[in-house]
Amino acid sequence: MIRKTLILTLLFALAITGCAPASSPTEAPAPVATEISATEAPATEAPAATDGLTFTDDMGREITLTGTPERIVSLAPSTTEILFAIGAGAQVVGRDEFSDYPEEAKALPSIGGSFGEYNVEAIVALEPDLVIAAEINTPELVKQLEDLGVTVYYLGNPLTLEEMYGKLETVAELTGHDVSELVSSLQARVAAVDEKIMPLSARPNVFYEIDASDPSKPYTYGPGTFGDLLITRAGGYNIGNVTTDPYPQLSLEQIVVENPSIIVLGDSMWGVTPESVLERAGWESIEAVKSEQIFPIDDNLISRPGPRLVDGLEALAKILHPGVFE
Amino acid sequence: MKPKPYLSSFFLLLIAFILSLAIGSVFISPVELWKILRGLGDETFTFIIWQIRLPRTVLVALTGAALSGSGAAYQGLFRNPLADPFLIGVASGAGLGAVIAMSIQWPYSFWGLMAIPMSAFIAALITVFIVYFLARVGQTIPTTNLILAGVAFSSFATSLTSFLMLRSTSEVRRALGWLLGGASQAGWTAILAILPYIIIGLGILLINGHRFNLLQFGDDQAQQLGLNVTRTKTILLIAASLATAAAVAFSGIIGFIGLIVPHVIRIWFGGDYRRLIPLSIIGGASALLVSDVVARIVLAPQEIPVGIITSLVGAPFFLWVLRTAKNQGYW
Repeated sequence: MIRKTLILTLLFALAITGCAPASSPTEAPAPVATEISATEAPATEAPAATDGLTFTDDMGREITLTGTPERIVSLAPSTTEILFAIGAGAQVVGRDEFSDYPEEAKALPSIGGSFGEYNVEAIVALEPDLVIAAEINTPELVKQLEDLGVTVYYLGNPLTLEEMYGKLETVAELTGHDVSELVSSLQARVAAVDEKIMPLSARPNVFYEIDASDPSKPYTYGPGTFGDLLITRAGGYNIGNVTTDPYPQLSLEQIVVENPSIIVLGDSMWGVTPESVLERAGWESIEAVKSEQIFPIDDNLISRPGPRLVDGLEALAKILHPGVFE
Repeated sequence: MKPKPYLSSFFLLLIAFILSLAIGSVFISPVELWKILRGLGDETFTFIIWQIRLPRTVLVALTGAALSGSGAAYQGLFRNPLADPFLIGVASGAGLGAVIAMSIQWPYSFWGLMAIPMSAFIAALITVFIVYFLARVGQTIPTTNLILAGVAFSSFATSLTSFLMLRSTSEVRRALGWLLGGASQAGWTAILAILPYIIIGLGILLINGHRFNLLQFGDDQAQQLGLNVTRTKTILLIAASLATAAAVAFSGIIGFIGLIVPHVIRIWFGGDYRRLIPLSIIGGASALLVSDVVARIVLAPQEIPVGIITSLVGAPFFLWVLRTAKNQGYW
């Protein structure tokens, strides 16, 4: 009797957890011609005043700022990149351990973040007037900081490039900056890529490798991730689409069946080289290996939901369609 | 040397307590601490002590006390030196409860955030309940059955936990952080939540020292000496599991403390449970406080999950104690 109830309870628990939200973002590219340039951190301009404004963050919490925040702590690398890109770099006083872009961010004191543990004392000791949390941070951390009297704004992850521009605008509002120029230039660069991709009929099969510690079961991006979105937008077909998982583990068999003509190494920053892929057992029959179309890429351009996603898009476009992009 | 066990243990606890309050991202000296206690300290420091370090110190001390006290109890109940508070599945049950709770999107409110520790706590108790009934044979609870049922159910719960963690990849980081043990994200609310259970659980264990001693003779002997073995075992099991479940609810799985501290006390002060239980409780609090301090300073400003440090630091210490023990046949 106990056993039956136990089995039923566990099946029920499994059923609840079996729902994974998977959104497939679609975008209509608008062709506008401009030149392509890399995203650099603009010279920091003096921020406009944001006096006593109330904001609702992505957790539904209401926060009020009494003046322009001058002591911001960022709890995620993507947030740090956004802050510096919109010109608020001078207002940042602390960042998490993994924030490594731009160079100036590395000089700021770290407040922890590896093992998922943040040094709350260090955050409080910096006397921040605004802490920006991201989806990578737990609600418990937000609550703990809130209880200690710190103003926390929770910035959810964007799912599309449009949403990313929206996040830039939100952070700009919070910090007293204007990003219309930045957003326009980003949109222009994306449109430039779209324009060159539209007339192309060939969409190569792409395998984007996130991790292949076990070469017979590597991880890749699936639907709902920016990796998938950017590959598609750059004129390729992401073979991770055969599953519904956002970060699926594909078996080697599956990869052989899909036969990608291009392999992009997102794990190149961990030392994986195209040569090492050529030597993997069982990978010889894959088109990309036979024609040696294996390319490294900086995964941070694809995985961090910030303005550098546009850099990632351009990098992918160059890899996928070298004839069209210089 | 005639050691005064209670005096030295309390002294050690006091040192560990002060260390835990003094050390952090800024070093606050004991002189400063004394000033803060009287309300005359620096404003920022006072805030840090009262709102961050003191709740954390108290929570860590309570957790260490609960884990060691119930560890000593389990070792006495099972008459097995390898018994620790997680033997019959409290850890894996709590882990499963927490991971199931993490895969649901709770609203950002007081109760929403309490959902995970509460699920861990309830799941831990349910696990012990299930294992207890699985092991029961008629009117008795044979020790071997308890251990076997506990180990089997633990493996099952752990595999299920791993499976669930793989399914919801977005929560893996959060789940791992919880499972590795972290006393940092808590506060006075957490302490108030677990205090009653720890007091009740440890209290029951404290007043039953002589019954533990009787149980060491074996079930049959103890029965003949007048002890109601089944009822005693049940009560003691519930008390120990209650304390452990409360300790695990907010701090995650912190291994090694519940296993080793009772052994150290045994080597130093003998195996009389009337003394072993209270000394384990005090010793456990000190041990976990010291581990927590180490976890904070080793890679500052990084904070290593304390569950990693307890084994890293605890194992060599225990081996040293074992080698230098005058009483080699102490078990």
